[in-house]
Amino acid sequence: MPQIPLRDFLYLLPEIFLLTAGLLLLLSSSVGRGLGSRAATLFSLATLAATAVMVVWVAQDAPPGLLLAGMYVLDDYALYWKLLLLLATGLTVVLSCRFVEESGYRAGEFFSLLLTAATGMLLMAGGANLLSIWLSLELMALSSYVLAGYFKHETRSNEAALKYFILGALSSGVMLYGMSLLYGAAGSLGLAEIAAALPAAARTMPLVIGLGWLMLAIGLFFKVAAVPFHVWTPDVYVGAPTPVTAFLAAGSKAASFAILVRIFYTALPGLALDWQIITAAVAAVTMIWGNLAALTQTNVKRMLAYSSIAHAGYVLMGVLAMSDDGQWAVLFYLLAYVLITLGAFGTVILLERREYAGETYEDYAGLARRAPLLAAMMLLFMLALTGIPPTGGFFGKIYLFAAAVEAGWTWVAVIGVLTSALSLYYYLGIVVQMYLKDSDDVTPRPLEARGLVAAIGFCALATLLLGLVPGPLVELAKASVLPLP
Amino acid sequence: MFEWIHQVPILSVITYVPLAGALVVIFGMKSENSGGIRRFATGVALLDFLISVPLWFEFEPAGELFQFRESASWIPSIGVRYEFGIDGIALLLVLLTTLLGVISFLSSWSAIKEREKEYYVFMLLLQTGMLGVFMALDFFLFYVFWEVMLVPMYFLIGIWGGSRKLYAAIKFFLYTLVGSVLMLLGILALYFYNAGGLLGYEGLGNPRTFSILQFHEIGSQIPGELQWWIFLAFFVGFAIKVPMFPFHTWLPDAHVEAPTAGSVILAGVLLKMGTYGFVRFSLPILPQGTWELLPWMVALSLIGIIYGALVAMAQKDMKKLVAYSSVSHLGFVMLGIFALNTAGLNGGILQMINHGLSTGALFLLVGVIYERRHTRMISEYGGISSKMPLYATVFLVITMASIGLPTLNGFVGEFTILVGAFNRTWWWALVGAVGIVLGAAYMLWMFQRVFFGPLTNPENENLEDLDRRELLYLMPLVILCFWIGLYPKPFFAVLEKPVDYIVRKVDADYAAAVATLPAAGAETEEAR
Repeated sequence: MPQIPLRDFLYLLPEIFLLTAGLLLLLSSSVGRGLGSRAATLFSLATLAATAVMVVWVAQDAPPGLLLAGMYVLDDYALYWKLLLLLATGLTVVLSCRFVEESGYRAGEFFSLLLTAATGMLLMAGGANLLSIWLSLELMALSSYVLAGYFKHETRSNEAALKYFILGALSSGVMLYGMSLLYGAAGSLGLAEIAAALPAAARTMPLVIGLGWLMLAIGLFFKVAAVPFHVWTPDVYVGAPTPVTAFLAAGSKAASFAILVRIFYTALPGLALDWQIITAAVAAVTMIWGNLAALTQTNVKRMLAYSSIAHAGYVLMGVLAMSDDGQWAVLFYLLAYVLITLGAFGTVILLERREYAGETYEDYAGLARRAPLLAAMMLLFMLALTGIPPTGGFFGKIYLFAAAVEAGWTWVAVIGVLTSALSLYYYLGIVVQMYLKDSDDVTPRPLEARGLVAAIGFCALATLLLGLVPGPLVELAKASVLPLP
Repeated sequence: MFEWIHQVPILSVITYVPLAGALVVIFGMKSENSGGIRRFATGVALLDFLISVPLWFEFEPAGELFQFRESASWIPSIGVRYEFGIDGIALLLVLLTTLLGVISFLSSWSAIKEREKEYYVFMLLLQTGMLGVFMALDFFLFYVFWEVMLVPMYFLIGIWGGSRKLYAAIKFFLYTLVGSVLMLLGILALYFYNAGGLLGYEGLGNPRTFSILQFHEIGSQIPGELQWWIFLAFFVGFAIKVPMFPFHTWLPDAHVEAPTAGSVILAGVLLKMGTYGFVRFSLPILPQGTWELLPWMVALSLIGIIYGALVAMAQKDMKKLVAYSSVSHLGFVMLGIFALNTAGLNGGILQMINHGLSTGALFLLVGVIYERRHTRMISEYGGISSKMPLYATVFLVITMASIGLPTLNGFVGEFTILVGAFNRTWWWALVGAVGIVLGAAYMLWMFQRVFFGPLTNPENENLEDLDRRELLYLMPLVILCFWIGLYPKPFFAVLEKPVDYIVRKVDADYAAAVATLPAAGAETEEAR
């Protein structure tokens, strides 16, 4: 047992702080009537902001390297993800405020679950060992299962939570089994050790390693909702309360990609070709199926669910490029994607007046007249998801395609561009309703819920800025890539 | 007198004045104030046109190939720059865009009655997008403008269009988007080939850039097979925009459903982006690919000419007729471009302008009568020249311009194209000539059915002739048709240098011949 210096725990301060704050919030909600929704929102936001400051502070202060006997790593890559995930969580908190208030349940419970999920995500970003990665993934997943079932008395919410839990547990099991096979072959769970041991082990026991990788990858593909491991997504996204859906589609997906890229890039370069072909196939099928299925949806949340599946396919395209360009394209794209997705879901949340309303396309009819600003922002999000300039979605996508073309995966890129052109059709479905259809109700409606509107506005502005001046963030993403072997 | 335009980033100013106008309308004007919005937006378009006119006087045909250059860093990490500049080709297209802009704004005053604020915002944004496309000298920047402009056009068709507007709008958007994303892959292939290489091809090792001029430089070094693929990718993007047969099916739908001003912009400027793309990118960057696919290009152009004309002949709806005539006319432009010699390119590019003027005018004229009677069916009319003499006169002039009567612009363009085509392969010109005859047939037949004969339909009894506003926006087009028809020299003068440049790039034999016989470009081309 190696000695773990106390200093390592100091560098874990942000994560420890976040978890403690989450638990305090949980505790507070069992005392009396608990915190109100607004107070809990503010508390969570302050916690997240403080955590972000600490994360940056630790990154500046600590020497980059492994902590806790190789379980955890501090590097630029982890820093980028941590900040991105904190941003995603913070926006989710704001999106949830009004919803939690109206739901009538204890506010503290909801936000404390968000904070523990965020802790899991931060730990995922820094995981350097399959075991620590798996444990932090489970922390995030368990919190998410409960969040998905937050409407205790709604059958759909219960169903979503149960489905998510059962399929999630199954995939975690598969992933864990894959990890144990890799451990058997490589003799270690550390990513770097696995990478070192793989070439030799691949000669003696190719089947074990192949199977181990496959099971690990299936687990990861499940978490990012890639076809054919996506079946849970639409039902869960529709059934879960919309802020939770937003969190799953944005934060949870981004965090899963953080570990997927780290595992694929640091532990497995030894079997580069095999995994690239399979990943390419998964990416292609994901883009095709995600987009085709989204075409036929009549429910906006379901459409966004399939669209998030399709976007996982685009991101996988950058992953399989196995290059610096591919990697920073993934980092940049997920930032843009998180902002766009949260903005789009924010609009859905704003339109919801009862627990599940605002979900059909028809609910958007004539929105351009009732709330021109909101409609314009939703238009921006839809265009950004399609990949029309000048939005962050366009630049993100173009870099992903570029990485795939550069790495020689042209056929995947061709499928990517064609399916993303196709996606225009269903994204415009909402635009058609907002701008081209009239509704009986044309009275302009003032936008209540200022915080929510501000969050949507922030996402819209960021989406636009990422499109107009992507330079600084491209630099940041470029500086945050993992070194290639 | 216009020296000041060298002191300011004039191209950016021209591009962003409409955008600024749109922002003012969005944030500064109330939707109820429709009269104010209308006047303001038209004023912005007029201002933009007035700022662009000095370009014509200050552009030096003998000077640098690309003038009024602007250059700034945009996304340095991937080599994207903000590069603007125009050569003679772009100069003409920019002026056409700003002119048609003003005209289409004026024509909208009576045509657009609902949601005017949004309408003028989208029209202004569209202007910015189109101008940027013609000025961009960075492929990335070009692509951004190319895509940006789809959105306002989508709304123009989708909100203010006719009965099947939703279908037409989404069809327009989807078709062009599919084309442009494939083009994007071609751009990326060029980008990587110029730098580190791709797909097993060893790259040229240059710094990463999207500079169009740099791509022009490396055109001859790109391996043939790669050229073939990139050409194909570009082809889909541009051919859908032109539109070439068989990619034209979105055009009649979009045109018929678009409001008049939308049609004017669509036919006058948007279609030119496709042909412009071929001239600016496909030919000079991919000479070998051009030659290898030349038979296909020409075949599709010729089919387009004949097919478009035949279908136009069968139309009962005037607007649809004009729409299909565009397919035929753009076939001519493509034929000229793919003659790959100076005459053909000169004619093709001039014909782009001509088509913008005459077809723009035709759509305006159809719009004029549609506003009065709310029908575009030819059979509803007949003998209306007695009621609308002025209208009939203008219509006649434009018809003549469109079918290529000497002294009018169409003749100059078509004749030059046929000279070019004949020099390449004689029977191409023959097929083209058949197309001209067919064009004369359907245009004159329509004219006859609408204007001559007895006035049979009682609803036409009270038709009013052109009013002053309508005359105001039609007259510039008529004057320009005569100008180009009678004295095309200044137009050919600005085209000379860019056309020579492109032919040199695409035709190595021509480049070699010119090198031995300087200052005798046209003759050597004849001699080949």
